[in-house]
Amino acid sequence: MMKFWKRMLRHPGGVIGLIIVLIAIFIALFGPTLFPNSPWRMVQRPFVPPFVNPRVTLGTDALGRDVFAGLIYGARVSLLVGMVSTIVALTIGVPVGAIAGYFGGKVDDLMMRLTEFFQVIPSIALAIVLVAILQPSIYSIVAAIAIVSWPPVARLVRGEVLSLRTREYVQAAVVTGQSNSWIIWREILPNALSPVIVLASLMVANAILLESSLSFLGLGDPNLMSWGYMVGAGRTVIRQAWWITVFPGIAILLSVLGMNLIGEGLNDALNPRLAKDSR
Amino acid sequence: MLKKLMVAMALSASVSTMALAQTPKEGGVVNAVIQPEPPGLFLPMVQNGPTQMVSGNIFEGLLRYSKKLEPQPGLAESWTVSDDAKTYTFKLKQGVTWHDGKPFTSADVLFSVNMLKETSARARTNMVQVDKVEAPDDFTVVFTLKQPFGPFMGIFEVGSLPMVPKHLYDGTDWKTNPNNNAPIGTGPFMFKEWKKGSYIRMVKNPNYHEKGLPHLDEVYWQVIPDAAARSVAYETGKVDVLPGGSIENFDVPRVSKLANTCVTGEGWEFFSPMAWMWINNRNPILANKKVRQAIMFALDREFARDVIWNGLGKVATGPSSSAIKFYTDDVPKYPYDPEKAKALLKEAGYKGEKIRIMPLPYGETWQRWGEAVKQNLTDVGFNIETIATDVPGSNQKNMEWDFDLSFTYLYQYGDPALGVGRNYVSSAIVKGQLFNNLEGYSNPEVDKLFADGAVATPDSKRKELYDKAQKILVEDVPVAWLLELQFPTIMKCNVKNLITTGIGVNDGFRDAWIDK
Amino acid sequence: MLSFVAQRIVKGVFVLLAIVVLNFFLIRLAPGDPAMVMAGEAGASDPQFVQQLREKFGLDKPLPEQLGIYVKGIVTGDLGYSFRQEAPVSRLILDRLPATLLLTLTAFAISLMLGITFGTLAARFAGTWADTAITVLALLFYATPIFWVALMAILLFSVYLGWLPSFGYETVGANYTGWQHALDVGAHLAMPALTIGLFFMATYTRMTRASMLEVKRLDFVKTARAKGLRDNIIQRRHVLRNALLPVVTLAGVHSGTLIGGAVLTETVFAWPGIGRLMYEALLQRDYNLLLGVFVVCSAMVLIFNLVTDLVYRLVDPRIEFAS
Repeated sequence: MMKFWKRMLRHPGGVIGLIIVLIAIFIALFGPTLFPNSPWRMVQRPFVPPFVNPRVTLGTDALGRDVFAGLIYGARVSLLVGMVSTIVALTIGVPVGAIAGYFGGKVDDLMMRLTEFFQVIPSIALAIVLVAILQPSIYSIVAAIAIVSWPPVARLVRGEVLSLRTREYVQAAVVTGQSNSWIIWREILPNALSPVIVLASLMVANAILLESSLSFLGLGDPNLMSWGYMVGAGRTVIRQAWWITVFPGIAILLSVLGMNLIGEGLNDALNPRLAKDSR
Repeated sequence: MLKKLMVAMALSASVSTMALAQTPKEGGVVNAVIQPEPPGLFLPMVQNGPTQMVSGNIFEGLLRYSKKLEPQPGLAESWTVSDDAKTYTFKLKQGVTWHDGKPFTSADVLFSVNMLKETSARARTNMVQVDKVEAPDDFTVVFTLKQPFGPFMGIFEVGSLPMVPKHLYDGTDWKTNPNNNAPIGTGPFMFKEWKKGSYIRMVKNPNYHEKGLPHLDEVYWQVIPDAAARSVAYETGKVDVLPGGSIENFDVPRVSKLANTCVTGEGWEFFSPMAWMWINNRNPILANKKVRQAIMFALDREFARDVIWNGLGKVATGPSSSAIKFYTDDVPKYPYDPEKAKALLKEAGYKGEKIRIMPLPYGETWQRWGEAVKQNLTDVGFNIETIATDVPGSNQKNMEWDFDLSFTYLYQYGDPALGVGRNYVSSAIVKGQLFNNLEGYSNPEVDKLFADGAVATPDSKRKELYDKAQKILVEDVPVAWLLELQFPTIMKCNVKNLITTGIGVNDGFRDAWIDK
Repeated sequence: MLSFVAQRIVKGVFVLLAIVVLNFFLIRLAPGDPAMVMAGEAGASDPQFVQQLREKFGLDKPLPEQLGIYVKGIVTGDLGYSFRQEAPVSRLILDRLPATLLLTLTAFAISLMLGITFGTLAARFAGTWADTAITVLALLFYATPIFWVALMAILLFSVYLGWLPSFGYETVGANYTGWQHALDVGAHLAMPALTIGLFFMATYTRMTRASMLEVKRLDFVKTARAKGLRDNIIQRRHVLRNALLPVVTLAGVHSGTLIGGAVLTETVFAWPGIGRLMYEALLQRDYNLLLGVFVVCSAMVLIFNLVTDLVYRLVDPRIEFAS
């Protein structure tokens, strides 16, 4: 463990990423408590530029709403969408991959066809269709993102399991008559974890981006203020009010960058051998 | 005894003197934005906004309408109305040919009326009082009505009753007729090419029946799906005309200030679009008049006009737009008064039950408006949840009455009998449509007033009936009226004479010219 | 080898059929239908009008029958008819396909070229600040929402500098021919292609870097080094060539995804491609057209995957032709 942290901290990118993401998480957790102003309230006249009025430090948007409040509340929604959809994707992808890799043969074939099925349709197209079908809400957005992002997990886990399966300690467990699920959960998966963690950090980043794309197309949840929503909403006035899109845009950029850098750092730290397949 | 109402020649002369303040220059190409891309261009069967805008310059109707909504000659050069107001006789212009060279005659008119009654829901309603249509000769058409119908002279514009070439459609399956994709009309421009996803191109009709028109050689309708990209296209000079609604309202002030840019709110008089929220009167909470009035007092409609619509348009006082006939503002008023709204809610015994609000999925402006209204209502104590849908989703919810509050904006077509009554009379409560009485309001007194108003003569009698109807409605608040909308047309100042009628760009390229 | 290809094709066809059937129902689960959309646009409608449209679209038939009709068509290579656009789906897609392919392939070339260059550099200086700097630079375009980059590019290159046209595929009405036409299309292509290219660049940079680091540790590179070959030559001849294999595979997967995934870029730049067609078909519930785009995109992904697999296997004989 110490060794891991040492490696991680030696990786300058990873450290930067970690700092950025920790700050974002802090804001998401405590921001709304520290700044309880609703981001939907029309507090000032519209289009107040940033750094002019101390009550609305980052200016106001087209309706006179506080951009700063939007950023604070948006952090929660954007990170939540990113993390929850990643967790959901993992809970689909890991079992599918593990079962496919462990049992092999027909089961593997079936599982992989299923995975292929979801991977073949362009992911953004599928996500758009799913959100349109379920109608935009935080649940449908998380579900759509999860559904389009689990196949790479399944593939990765399958590959890991395939190679771990042949290891001696797994074989030993098989010989001693341990149940299949015990072997998968206790012997194989813990050892396949590190590449999955790397992938997960990138999936969170992708999910935040995908959510912003959906918002851009008008498929966001209108009851929740997210960064993607803010960028989408401000883009038509970008010429007269750059701050409405630039601040949330930077927020997205930084957190996605942070997640990616962490992924990179984890990759090098956890597993110097396995430095591929980042998606 | 027939009474001449208007002499066509005199009127057209006066119009052209106004237009001729500057001598038009011949030739040139104009690029206009069309948004969204129309599904088809065969106007008699496809009647959505973009189709009307493009095809209104390819097809023609019997009449055109000035910005004051007075009828003007189109394919009919003059008309008379009998004293009992039941017989309308149209004299058609002679020497008019279709784009394929065949002559246009009264047979085409009869055919078109019959076809439109099948293909267009609006033509069907407009024609409901028509008993029979006859053509005594090649250039005369006579409409006989069952009873007088006040707005009858207002239903002959190209979008409502476009003329279809009988020789190409008679006896064919209209739905699959190959001409649907390359429409043939009598209009000043001929369809030339449609590159799907890119542009529609129409070219000058050299044999147009109005001598000397059109002035332009070609018009390109550019398809640009993103609003921000549309304003850049204008700004970089790739597009000369931004018809109303092409760019987001928030961008209008900036674009209006660009060099060589002229803006006009004219050209929508015929439609006089009006925005409101359907209030589902079937919902037990909203069935309470006090709650509905509370909604009206809670809405800051001046804010909506000034901030969301950039000061364009007017706060609506009631069911009728101030631009149409028989409008009155002698009705109860609902200024922005949150305290009063709170009091009314308390009186009504509202306990925070959830009310769903459905904005129109038509882009940023409408989304922002939904947010502002939600905030207004939340401020006075409503518990509001926004329902997000795309266009098909919202259409379905509206058609099935599955909403509490739902934004809409509808055209009023100049006369309360055409565009207002349909939203409040109980006979219009029909499931499976989107434009008539979705709120489920039913009041026998109002029903009778609108029924009488449509067929009463003379106009003073009609006014009396409609005044009364408006008063009752505003007191009852069956829907929450928001704004009379204005969609500014933005164009390069050297595009001249484009907006000359009450439907603006939709038939405007006939007279337009470009100053080089 | 041949049986491998045949097997893959058969499996691919099954996947495609599954996609057709599932999406057929999925799309119809969405609220609203094409008749409702058109009734809404008409500005006036009554139940009779909606019913007429439903009949015209064939939506009044029972679902299994509709599916039967559709699948029968697909099997014979007929993607059906778009009633909304009054045209065969295959023609609508073929109209848009060249524009999308042009955009995708150009974007692709850009991302590969830049990605491999940056990735090689990063691998060389692995673990240093230079490595981090390159990674961050590559990630910048990845981490910024793509529509935002697009908008900024338009502002810079079209509005302020006036160098590039901001929308469309070509200058409408200019009727250029030959070289002039190619240049014109190129100018329109530059911004959308760069926007997508820069986005995918990050992936290839990371991939190339990782892959190169791994290859470097392999025996034959060590041997080469022991033989005293110059570092430059080792890099180019041995490391890069071998490191590119996984990059190529990934590229195969992506190239397909790009085709349908360019929705945002095509929307912002009004590029008349498949992505936009798909999105508009979805909003209009143009069922046949939407399904058609899905089928075509999915088929392309399958084909690209197969081709890259073949290339991979031919180049690297260590991999057997077993599935």
